[in-house]
Parts: sequence; C-alpha cells; structure tokens
Amino acid sequence: MSLRDALPTPRIHRDGLNPNAVLISLSIVMLAAFWTLDMVSMAPNRIVLGTGYSAPAAFGWPGALLATLLFCAISFLAWQPSQRHYQALLAAVVMLMALMPFGLIVSSFLLIEPELAQARLGLGAGYWVTLFILLLCLVELRLRLNLTRLWPTLLLSGIALVWWLCATLWLDSLALVQEFKARDQLFLRAVGQHMTLVGIAVSVSIVLGLALALLMRRYARLQKVAFTVLNFLQTIPSIALFGLLLAPLAWLAVNVPFLAKLGVSGIGTTPALIALIAYSLLPMVRNTYTALEEVSPVTLEAAKGMGMRASQRFWQVRLPLALPVLLEGVRITTVQAIGLTAVAALIGAGGLGTFIFQGLGQAAMDMVLLGALPILMLALVVDAGLGALAEALRPGGAR
Amino acid sequence: MIELAHVSKRFGSEIAVNDISLRIPKGKFCALVGTSGCGKSTTLRMINRLIAHSEGEIILDGASIETYDPVKLRRRIGYVIQHTGLFPHWSVARNIGLVPRLLKWPSIDVQARVEELMQLLGLPVEEFGHKYPHQLSGGQAQRVGVARALAANPDIMLMDEPFGALDPITREKLQDELAKLQARMHKTIVFVTHDMDEALKLADHLVVMRDGRIVQQGSPLALLKHPADPFVESLLGGLERGLKQAALTRVKDHMNSLGSALPAQSRIPADFSLRQALSMMLRDHSDRLTVVDQHDVPVGELSLRKIVKEAHLDKGNSRE
Repeated sequence: MSLRDALPTPRIHRDGLNPNAVLISLSIVMLAAFWTLDMVSMAPNRIVLGTGYSAPAAFGWPGALLATLLFCAISFLAWQPSQRHYQALLAAVVMLMALMPFGLIVSSFLLIEPELAQARLGLGAGYWVTLFILLLCLVELRLRLNLTRLWPTLLLSGIALVWWLCATLWLDSLALVQEFKARDQLFLRAVGQHMTLVGIAVSVSIVLGLALALLMRRYARLQKVAFTVLNFLQTIPSIALFGLLLAPLAWLAVNVPFLAKLGVSGIGTTPALIALIAYSLLPMVRNTYTALEEVSPVTLEAAKGMGMRASQRFWQVRLPLALPVLLEGVRITTVQAIGLTAVAALIGAGGLGTFIFQGLGQAAMDMVLLGALPILMLALVVDAGLGALAEALRPGGAR
Repeated sequence: MIELAHVSKRFGSEIAVNDISLRIPKGKFCALVGTSGCGKSTTLRMINRLIAHSEGEIILDGASIETYDPVKLRRRIGYVIQHTGLFPHWSVARNIGLVPRLLKWPSIDVQARVEELMQLLGLPVEEFGHKYPHQLSGGQAQRVGVARALAANPDIMLMDEPFGALDPITREKLQDELAKLQARMHKTIVFVTHDMDEALKLADHLVVMRDGRIVQQGSPLALLKHPADPFVESLLGGLERGLKQAALTRVKDHMNSLGSALPAQSRIPADFSLRQALSMMLRDHSDRLTVVDQHDVPVGELSLRKIVKEAHLDKGNSRE
C-alpha cells in the first residue's frame, strides 16, 4: 500500500460528491404520488362525493410534464449536491410550491363546465402529499444551506401570498374558497374569537406562571406540590376537562348570582378559559422556573458582591438573563393553546374549532380544512415570531 | 485599614475559618495563600459580608463591618473574582460603569470614568466599549473585571484568584500590570491565590493558611528566610526557595562600586533581580557582571561570591 492510499481522503471532498439521499428519495416519492394518486376531485355540488382526477387530467399534459421535469431536476441536482446545486434546489422547490395554485386554476378550466355554477374543486391526496413533501424538502434545504429561521419564514410568506392572490382572483370553484365565501363574516369572527381566547389564556398563565414560579423559588416545599398538581392537570384529556368543568360551573352560576353576572356558566367562554389556563400553566411554570434557576450563580454572586440590592439583582440580572428561556416557555404554551382552543368549540366557546366540528358533522372535509388550516398557520406564525424574538434577546445578541 | 480579630466561620458543625487574626494597613497588598479548601476564599468573602462570620470581629476603617449596611459596604469595596462574573447581557462599558451607576453618579461622570479606566487597562474604548463579554479573550475579560472593581475608586480591593483561569503568559502580563497599578494607586488589597509565585511577586504581606488557620504571616522575604514549618517550606518551593528569594532581591542592593579591575563583559540593569543576575552568570559562564543604569552606563559590579556570602543578610526587599 503506498503512502498516498494510506492517508485518509479529505472528508469535505467526499461530502460534496455524496448524493443527498434525503432529497432524492423525497423527489422519487413525490413523483410516484404525482402519477399514481388523484391530484384533484370535482363534484357537481356540495352534497355529491367528487370524482378524482390524476395529474394529466387535472393539469393537462403540459402541466403534468412540467411538474415531472422539476421533480427530475431535484433528483438530478441532489445527486451531486454542491453549494450552488443546493441553491438551485431551493429555487426549484420554491417554484413548485408557488406553481401549485396555478395547477388548480388550470384544472378548474379543464374540468368544470361553465354552466355548472355549483361545481367545486377539491384537493386530492396526491396534491396534499406533494405539498407536504415539498415542505420536508424545504426543511432539509434550510439545514444544508445553514439558513436562519427567518429565511424559510419569508419564503413561505411569499408563497402564501401567491396562494392567497390565486384563491381570491381566479379560484372561485375551489371548495375551500366556496366554504369561505359562504361564511366569510363567520370566519373572521371565529378567527377573532380564537385569537382572543388564546390571548387571554396565555396572558393570564404568564402572570400566574411567573407568580407561581417566584413563590416556588421562595418556598421550596411548594415546588413539589405545584408540579404534581400541574402534571396531573396536564394528563386529563382536554375534552374530559371541558366536560368536568360543566357541572361545577353551572352550579356556581345558578347559586352565586354575582358570578353569573360576570359571565360564569357551564358552557361558553368561562370553562374554556379555565381549562386553557390549566393546561397552559405547566409549560409556563416549568420554563419560568428553570429559566430563573439556570442563571449562572457566579454572575449573581458577582452582582451581589458589586453591591446590587436583591431587587436590582432580580430585575437587572436574573430576569434579563432568564428571558430567552422564559420566552421559549411562552412560545410552547401559545402554540399548545392555539391547538387546544379548537376543542373549546365543543362547549360553545366559538373559535375556529366550530368549523372543524361542523364540517365533521356534515362530512364536509373542506369545511374542516377551513378551520384547521388557519389554526396551523396561526401556530406556525406564532412559533416563528416568538422563536425569533427569543433568539434576538440572547445575551449580547449572540451565543 | 482592615483588621480581623479572632474571626471564625462555621458551616453547621464544620469549621471553615478558625480563629484568625490579621492586620492589613492602608495601601498594603496582602495575599492569602494556601491549598484549596483552606478557608482563604471564605476569609475574603467575610470582609465584604458575602458570608457572615460566626465569631470575632472584622474592623474596617475603625468600625466593625456589622455597623455598615452590607450593600453600601460592598459598593465601597472593589471585588474581582476568578471567572470575572461579568454580566453577559451588558456591553463592556456598561459592565464597568455598574458601581458608579449604583452610586447614582451623573451619567456624564460615569462615562468619563469608564473611558478613563478602559484607557488605563489597555482596552481602547472604540474597540471594546460596545463589545459583549463573550466576544473577549480570557485576559481581556479579566481586565474588564478589574476595571469594574476599580470603577467607583474604592480604597479596598478584594481579589479572589483573579488570574487563576488564565494561561501562564496572560497571567504574568496581568500580574505585572496589577503591580504597576498598585504602585500608582496604593489600594488596600486582599488577594487570594494558590499560586505562591504570584503571591511572592505581588504581595507586601503574605498569609499562609491551612485548614482554616493561619500557619504563618509576614513579608515575602521573611517567610522565605524562616519558614515556620515544613508545610510553608513546601509551599514556598522547597529547594527552589533560594532562587525565589533571589527573585525578590534587587541587583543594586548587592553590587560593589566599580573596581579597578577590567569590567566584566556581561551587563545587567540595576533594578533587575538577583535571580536574573544568577541566570545571566550561568548563561555567560561568568562570576562577575557589570551593573548598568537605565542609560546603559556602568554604575557597579556584581560578583557571585558576594551574592552567596550575603544571602542570609537582611538586605533590602524593595517593597519594604
């Protein structure tokens, strides 16, 4: 064996040549889904079950071939992924996502007869799978290109804007759009209710959580009790908790007129808020407590040695240093509350969950989507926003 | 002036500091030396009341420290610790200005003081003022730590192994700078270290501690000449003691006036130490050196025989 062979091959070189298995398999799955699953479905009215259409029928042969070409390009670029190839891949993925609503416009022209005013276009399994896999590609590319959180958020916002424009301008026949148009006022009110419920629940649990965490730091015994209770609350299924609150609150409303005046009743906003706050407290308290405890004792000792009073040490040192972890708790709590609030619709608290449960009752999947998609969007936006804020508040802007 | 009279500290049944008495006159540099766990750090932290002492009395400028408000007491005592304890979410300038701001100085004065101190410690304001602690090297961070402790111009400085976490070269550089600062500012300094060379180099008064008690205290030269017991002797470096003593003695205290004989080839400045002189003799195979002043003009002569003969004499520790 010559010396040259004995030396290890430089890793960077090899990395550049290794095919990116993740992207290649994703693009193959996408291709398979595109050609085998139904891309859209068309129903002459809301009641009738739609008929599915495969890609060539839905987008026409040119559209189907264009998409296939882009999928193949992803496979091809991922075979020898250099930095530039990754950038090209990102462009291809973003382009596919932005082109998807135009595919729907094409199918509405191809599939819907102008005289069928009630006809509606539904999204097929293949369409959802493709969208989901494109999102996975985006995640992989973000990691490979070492992008910050902000970039995908911006790109997705841009794509969402394209989708929204297409939906309002040309996609009247899309079932989702029709469901929205039938109840746009209701929809906006539901979004408002949803956000109000989440906002109140999260703000109350921030205040309560901070107070509890501070008390726990002062009285060590409280810590075990409080965490046991909060952990227990977290294990109750949410629907059960809403149900369990029904009886005692209804009783209170009947027997204590003052509380009834305040709006307390067995169903509606009050029990929903109580349950939401009960669920939000655990992540809030746990994060706040750890955040405050984790501040370096050396730094705090120095603060004391410099002659800072206890209150100065708390407000100027402990709290600011705990803030990023604390905000992480707010983020987790809020995202969780946005999801849970959907269930609150069951006890008449309103919010986007209303559409989900109505849609489920009427077997109208597009109405379920009308409730579920905005919840997903809200959660993503809050997640990205608070995550970025926590990042920005890291001590000294970095670390 | 700081005075500790029969001070003890108990943690439960354990006794960390056991009946120590100590006087540190104003403007003197006192080093507490000992192995880890000997109570030296506890002693230091009792002075600014981060730890309350159990028995005895600690007197600061004529009054027991218990008569001071602990917060006000700490604000008039500079405090430097090993891992700097800088606030990671504050810029360098803000960190340094902490105590003056706590003392409610006008912001213009605070800013001027911060700039003055950064200048003094070799941290240009334009380059470092806005930086955050995590962007600094270990040496730079500890300079900021020292600047922060000096900010409100305290008479007393407590330093708890300030250079312990630094690499040897940076440590030596900071020691030299501290010595220079002290020669100018004459603070009353209590300095905790486990590094005997550091203590010998900086201190006027050396306190050796073991198991919570003071084993021996005195000037560095006195300890080097008459270590009280084998423990102190081993701390002082055993066989190296002679050289350490030589390191504390100046050439000019042992030189002869220029004789009629031909001056030696090797030259040594008068304010170098005997240790450096001995090293030079070994290097140059010479038992005589010509002593020169700062303008390289010969002012005397140093001979090996004379150094060896006078080694036991109490001839001048420059810091006494």
